[in-house]
Amino acid sequence: MELSNNSSKVKMIASGIIPFVFVIIMMAYIFGPGGDLIDLGIPLPEVTIEKVDFVDSEIHATVRNTGPIPVNIVVADVNDRIHPAAVEPDGYLERYETALVRIPFEWNEAEPYTVGITVGDGTRFEKEIESAAPALQPTLDLAVFFAIIGTYVGIIPVMIGLLWLPFIKKISKSKYHFFLALTAGLLLFLAFDSIEEAVDVSNENLAGSFNGILLIATVIVLSFLGLYYSGEKLVQRAKSSKLAKPVAIALMISISIGLHNFGEGLAIGAAVGMGSIAFSTFLIVGFALHNTTEGIAIAAPMSREKVMIGKLAAMGMIAGSPAIFGAWIGGFVYSPFTSVIFLSIGAGAIFQVIVILIKWLRDEGDKNLSSASVVSGFAVGMLVMYLTSILI
Amino acid sequence: MKITRSNTMILLVSIIVGVSLVAVFPTFSDAQSEQKTFVTHSGAVVRTSGEVIDPLYTVSTVDFDPDEFLRNFEYGRVSVSETGQTIREYTIVAEDDKIQEISPGVFYNVWTFNGTVPGPTIRATEGDLLRIHFINNGSKEHTMHFHGIHPAGMDGVFEPVGGNGGQFVYEFEAGPVGVHPYHCHVMPLEEHIVHGLYGVFIVDPKEGRAPADEMVMVLNGLDTDFDTENNFYAANTIPFYYQHHPIQINTHELIRVYVVNMVEFDPINNFHLHGNLYKYYPTGTDVVPSFYTDMITMSQTERGIMEFEYEYPGKYLFHAHKVEFSEKGWVGIFLVKENPEINQDIEYGT
Repeated sequence: MELSNNSSKVKMIASGIIPFVFVIIMMAYIFGPGGDLIDLGIPLPEVTIEKVDFVDSEIHATVRNTGPIPVNIVVADVNDRIHPAAVEPDGYLERYETALVRIPFEWNEAEPYTVGITVGDGTRFEKEIESAAPALQPTLDLAVFFAIIGTYVGIIPVMIGLLWLPFIKKISKSKYHFFLALTAGLLLFLAFDSIEEAVDVSNENLAGSFNGILLIATVIVLSFLGLYYSGEKLVQRAKSSKLAKPVAIALMISISIGLHNFGEGLAIGAAVGMGSIAFSTFLIVGFALHNTTEGIAIAAPMSREKVMIGKLAAMGMIAGSPAIFGAWIGGFVYSPFTSVIFLSIGAGAIFQVIVILIKWLRDEGDKNLSSASVVSGFAVGMLVMYLTSILI
Repeated sequence: MKITRSNTMILLVSIIVGVSLVAVFPTFSDAQSEQKTFVTHSGAVVRTSGEVIDPLYTVSTVDFDPDEFLRNFEYGRVSVSETGQTIREYTIVAEDDKIQEISPGVFYNVWTFNGTVPGPTIRATEGDLLRIHFINNGSKEHTMHFHGIHPAGMDGVFEPVGGNGGQFVYEFEAGPVGVHPYHCHVMPLEEHIVHGLYGVFIVDPKEGRAPADEMVMVLNGLDTDFDTENNFYAANTIPFYYQHHPIQINTHELIRVYVVNMVEFDPINNFHLHGNLYKYYPTGTDVVPSFYTDMITMSQTERGIMEFEYEYPGKYLFHAHKVEFSEKGWVGIFLVKENPEINQDIEYGT
């Protein structure tokens, strides 16, 4: 019966909409004219100085309104001394709007500075810079420098790690499981590493109103779900095409490590940009050692396949080269917000790969995850990563 | 198989490129707008497409006019008693709900005597009878406590005047000769002072002082974010005001400045004059100057009279040599002009 079908559809739609109508009415009641029901206290302004750049005879502060009310930026100071300044595009900031405050100032390299911003009600906010360093200009030289650093910490270590492939190929099944579990351990460590970095960046540079930890958690889960879904699709397609499952898994590992290395590159670029790191050969060695283990992670699942050098190299590139892109973006156009997002995406990607790996281990190891090889592999993976991370 | 891999590669590359664009893009927006220029402290000219924030060169619509305050002396409603004593009557109203723009764009809750920070400069001759009708229209208790000599009951400490119209009449003989502060003395005292409840009380000697171009400077600070550190400093409340609006004086003319330091939180303040030295009379109680200097350091409510004459015309800075204070507003300029009539008599004190 068309009619009853229609009316039941209408009923269904109505029952879906009615709660929304009530929500709207409630909002109108609370916030609408005369709705001084929740007029509690006085909202306080808040701005966050997210970034400070030292350029030619000027200090540039990127300021975001992170409070509940619009603010006017009215005074800028350096080391608590007032200076004439320019605000671009203008000093009136709605919630979450940003402006660039340009303070003409003959700053000295490597000296600490405190940049202060005062808003219309006289409240002053400040950010301390430990050591002034000239803002990086995107010159070809510097781009090459970052590419070299990215190659050292991203591509080369991963490629070296891949050289363990022949070794892993020759070992017994239980040892192979050990290495797969080791991979999962390595990755789990990297995930924690990314989260820690994201939390650090968020605490230092993002205002409380971003809910840093929850932002990170949300992005991790979304990234995990997105990659999990597309990963399953990839594996399904692998079944129907000639692409073998181990290769699909190795590819997913490469992509997730790539995302992680992108975040690592961001951190390196940003650190150089902010002058807070003196790039020593020691540091590069530390990163390189640390990242070599990422190569093992890719090699392990591939080791039961016929080795194709090209395929392997491509995966190494997928995993390693994002470090270069990361360093460029981190060094030239650093934004703490995007950094937190990328680091969280990286962590989510790694969790997804770990889940895939564990599933695979379970299928391979007769539904058993508690074998000595798996448990010890996992543990050794974490330990190795921790020990190499001390070098950084 | 190859197709899948290259697809993935393309996807990855396009993600990276797209993300890079997103990250780069904000720096390229807002490029084409009207250009404005401003001059920095070191004289460089800076161009901007945005807005200039400059407490120094930006003219603000402040509610308080430091130029008017500078040379304004309140002599009160004058009458003579049966014994021949001069009686000066004043009405002073305290308020604590005003929001004033104390620097371009900065709005601060000032507590005021007769609507301004500092309050009116009360001026009398030694021995005059002062009768001050004090009305408290604020929401809190306030008083007027004068530095000087007076009976205990007129001290404005143990006689708090209730808000919303409370009244009190302070009556005492003006003395001793000199320059003194007056301020509210209700606890918490620091809060009542830093919000602006203070002013200057000048007692002239009976024989008068030499004719001069006289002015009052109250050195004060404003803690606009209540962290017990001053955000701004000034001579007469508005930061950088006399730098933007130089005080015009003449060569070969005696200048007399009544200076009162009302800065809280910082233990000292000081007054440095460029291109000249001044004779300094601490508290103004003696007719003989104690110092001939260009630099006097003052603690809380320390005050004195400075006298000087400029020989050469031009612009001369005066400022705190505690440079932090001057760079946060306590700085001004005397614009010295060639005296058109060197022999012109300047009327004293009317």
